Amino acid sequence: MTDGGTDADARTDGGPPAAVPPDDETPTWTERKEHSQGLAQLTYQYFERSRREDEDLRAESTYVERDVLGFPTWPHETLRNFAITSFFVGIMILVAALMPAHFGEPANPGATPAIILPDWYLYWSFGLLKLNPLNPQLAVLGGNIVMSNELLGIVAHGIIFGIIGLVPFLNKGSARRPVEQPFWAAVGVTGVILAFTLAALAIQNFFPISLDLLLTLTFMLPVLGGILTYAVLKTMREGYMYDLNRRYYMLRPPK
Amino acid sequence: MSLKKQDEMDHNAWLKNQDLTVIETAFLTTLIWLDKRLRIVDYLELLETMYYRANLQMPKSHTEQYDLDNKFWYWYPLYSLGSLSIIAYLVAAVSGALLGFYYAPSTAGAAAQGDPTAAYDSLVMIMKDVQFGYMLRSIHRWAAQFMVAAVFLHMLRVYFTGSYKEPREVNWILGIVLIGLTLLFGFSGYVLPWKQLSFWAAQIGVEMALATPLVGEWAAQLLFGGFTLGQATLVRMYILHVFVLPFVVTGLIALHVGIVWVQGIAEPH
Repeated sequence: MTDGGTDADARTDGGPPAAVPPDDETPTWTERKEHSQGLAQLTYQYFERSRREDEDLRAESTYVERDVLGFPTWPHETLRNFAITSFFVGIMILVAALMPAHFGEPANPGATPAIILPDWYLYWSFGLLKLNPLNPQLAVLGGNIVMSNELLGIVAHGIIFGIIGLVPFLNKGSARRPVEQPFWAAVGVTGVILAFTLAALAIQNFFPISLDLLLTLTFMLPVLGGILTYAVLKTMREGYMYDLNRRYYMLRPPK
Repeated sequence: MSLKKQDEMDHNAWLKNQDLTVIETAFLTTLIWLDKRLRIVDYLELLETMYYRANLQMPKSHTEQYDLDNKFWYWYPLYSLGSLSIIAYLVAAVSGALLGFYYAPSTAGAAAQGDPTAAYDSLVMIMKDVQFGYMLRSIHRWAAQFMVAAVFLHMLRVYFTGSYKEPREVNWILGIVLIGLTLLFGFSGYVLPWKQLSFWAAQIGVEMALATPLVGEWAAQLLFGGFTLGQATLVRMYILHVFVLPFVVTGLIALHVGIVWVQGIAEPH
């Protein structure tokens, strides 16, 4: 039962002084929805500009969309996907049956095994942890290493992931085939060969090569592969351009 | 004071005016009742908007656009690698769940160093006693290897066809995160059997974590449960592998595929 409130300071029903009446600067609901100020206004201005841009592009383009004339989902696409999936799962089961998983000794914290290796896909990471001879030593520090060997391994990982992440921001344009972007294709081949050589570094015990030579190869083979790729792709470009413009060349033979 | 309904908002009168069957009346009455309380209509409108956004017309494919002679696209297997990695993920998830019924994440039971722990014993039991247990473990391992291989080859395909360029940079970064999480999946799974290789690979992991500047000790504590390996490590790897990573990776895969859906495949020209 309401009785007008005995204590003006302790209202719990949302009335004053708990509810503060809005001052003149507070926008009303209608004013808020008009988006006439601040970030909302900017957002809706951009919104209308980008809609206008879409309209202009649509009006200019000669591209025609066709009405729902594609490969039917049911039953064609469904069956095709099911067939491909079954094939792939079947391959996995077959391989699992033919080459069962390896089993080893139980863990023994007191006995370090001779060979410590992760799964094959982490060999490249393991190789990055074996770059100790490459740890830079500064004469300034009296020939001491700048960072610990483990930190070098982590920094190397960071460098590789950083470069991979930066690629879309460096390689712009519309090239879609390696032959159209020979430099970046060469960089890619360098990276792939580096992954393999780092993995080889991880399992160096199996290679009868000295560590120095292996380290050199680890970084020289990728660069070599990259240069080779660049050369090959640049050579292929002329043929590719000819291929694209064959009809034109037929009408206008080269001198 | 009561709210007076305006005449055109008198839904009951509107219902009576129309000739509706019993089912239709029941349906509409329920809908109106719920809508007054939960604003169902707003969600229906959202769904409708999403439906039309998600089902935009497909643009012409490469073959249709240029009316090519060669309608057999021999690069198709390369472009299906993303899907194949998801299929492998699903196989690994199902086989992993089944394995989880039998696996025990515990380092208890080692009387001396080098004795089999409960985790190791549970694996021996899976391999020897469980019906087709060896097959299940084998499938799980191979599905994981296939997933990593498919993911790597998928990344190579995207790289060499320049499909990461504008406006697909975000998806590329997301893919890098995903491949990192996949490798983490593999690493955490490798530690679970608590074999010699598991233990010492985890040992190297701890040393790497400790070597990280600033966050080293915190990272080692979070991922490995301390600076020496023991029960805490195994349980954390287990929770990572079985609980945290599946949720995170599934969500990120959905986001990754969703972005591809919205932006379209970057077809080569």
